[in-house]
Amino acid sequence: MRFARLSLSLAMYNLRAYLRSVRTVALGVIMPVGLLVILSWVFAHQGTIAAAAGYPISAIAFYAGGLTAYGLMLGTFTGVMVAIVSAREAGWLKRFRVSPMPPGSYLTGQIVFNVMISMGLVIVMMGIASLVYGLHLRLIALAAMFCYTMLGVFCFTAIALVITRLVTTPEMGSSVGPFVTITLSFTSGVFLPPDLMPHWLVSLSNFLPLEPLAQSMQTALAASSGTGIMYRPFVVLGIWGVVSFVVARWTFTWQPLRR
Amino acid sequence: MTVIEVSNLTKRFNRFVAVDDVSFHVNEGEIFGLLGENGAGKTTTMEMLEGFQRPDGGSTRVLGHDPQHASREWRDRIGLVLQESDFDPLHSVRETLALFASFFSNPRDVDETLELVGLLDKADERVGRLSGGQKRRVDVALGIVGRPRLLFLDEPTTGFDPVARREFWQVIEGLRDGGTSMVLTTHYMEEAEQLCDRLAIMSRGQIVAEGTSSALISAFGATTVRFELPSDVDLATLCSLAGVPFVLRDNLVTALLGDELETVLLRLLTWTKSSGTVLHRLEVVRPTLNDVFLDATRSGE
Repeated sequence: MRFARLSLSLAMYNLRAYLRSVRTVALGVIMPVGLLVILSWVFAHQGTIAAAAGYPISAIAFYAGGLTAYGLMLGTFTGVMVAIVSAREAGWLKRFRVSPMPPGSYLTGQIVFNVMISMGLVIVMMGIASLVYGLHLRLIALAAMFCYTMLGVFCFTAIALVITRLVTTPEMGSSVGPFVTITLSFTSGVFLPPDLMPHWLVSLSNFLPLEPLAQSMQTALAASSGTGIMYRPFVVLGIWGVVSFVVARWTFTWQPLRR
Repeated sequence: MTVIEVSNLTKRFNRFVAVDDVSFHVNEGEIFGLLGENGAGKTTTMEMLEGFQRPDGGSTRVLGHDPQHASREWRDRIGLVLQESDFDPLHSVRETLALFASFFSNPRDVDETLELVGLLDKADERVGRLSGGQKRRVDVALGIVGRPRLLFLDEPTTGFDPVARREFWQVIEGLRDGGTSMVLTTHYMEEAEQLCDRLAIMSRGQIVAEGTSSALISAFGATTVRFELPSDVDLATLCSLAGVPFVLRDNLVTALLGDELETVLLRLLTWTKSSGTVLHRLEVVRPTLNDVFLDATRSGE
């Protein structure tokens, strides 16, 4: 009970700072929305795109699904990394560590906060896709999107936790985050259809966390019947997440690295 | 009743011995000072007491527990004021403090805490808009909002102007009067003399002096007596007259005196009275904690 209350108050604390910062909101929402607008316009003539699922899906389902996955990764991975490195280097984490707050509350607070803003992103992206681009949005697809969102936040938070050990300043985090996410995006069927990519690169990205997430979101939005839910992202992202948490348990530090 | 017991504490970083067989204790309700140059081992010692560093040898009991295996109840009674402080600039002072207060089982009222550190009029200000001195007060507020029984202060007034430092001292003295025990590291001897009931001076990982500041001053420092050499007497005569060796330096005769201070002064003044000599620029200078510090840290070299 106390754990849940503290986790929630930490999440709300983060949310309040997030909503007050124009820059982070812009990075988190305008970037994927802007890309959705641009890429849908560029590829509008194609009508359908040969997604990694093996069958062609509509361009809007491809971009709405893929870019939501991309936005989620960008926001969560970069956000968690920068938040933790800033808090650590400022001595905040050290202070938290010696306070009676359970360490797990801090982590849960980060996850809950990122689930909240990622859900917000899903709603904005789905709203634009259905109202502006006429995507037929089934309720089951929206439910699937929310499921994948939680999975994605869990996974990318865990990976970010491991990376914080290598990142010494918040500024470094702000450049490492977008660099990693953009690089990964090109190979993961987010910006460009996978059939434009070398075959080996697509095979490799099947084992990286973004591609399964993007593909499952695209499939959920494209499916016209059934649940459209895939098990593969739960396996791949689950393994990445759990392994990262285990590694982070060893590598994570509450003390500033710069001395 | 002691709040901290440290015996034979040792910490090594590779081959460098940062803390070397250190023992001391802190009594309930007192302010204990740890002084030393940079790299003397103060911060490492503090970090072992706070549970951040694992000792390589010796034992520490803080509020009756080993900080390495501290429970949530233990953390509930510990407060921390850190050297560096930087908070999320987008939250107000009150919001920042309220978050922290929520971690503790019996926190002080947020506004009451702000009043105590003199920040109540800035409660709704965003932390990012505060001055450096005001941010340090937020730091202190965060340290005391949980009503700690034991408060660690790591160089808390570095960067303060003299007025802010005096105000800060009042806050600390108020907390002590309220029964909070404290461990304080500082570079400012004046601060240590003003605040600390007892203190330890560290050098190269070891405690080289420990006690109350007045006891340290009388044990380590010698009082200086100096004046201009009168024209009608030479140095050798003066020395035999006073019964102690004076030296001549920069036109002044100087002697370092311990217990014999009163006797020597009496002899000198009797002589001046009978001979009609005047001792120009006569000074009797008591040693300061700074002299003790320099003396104690130098003797290890």
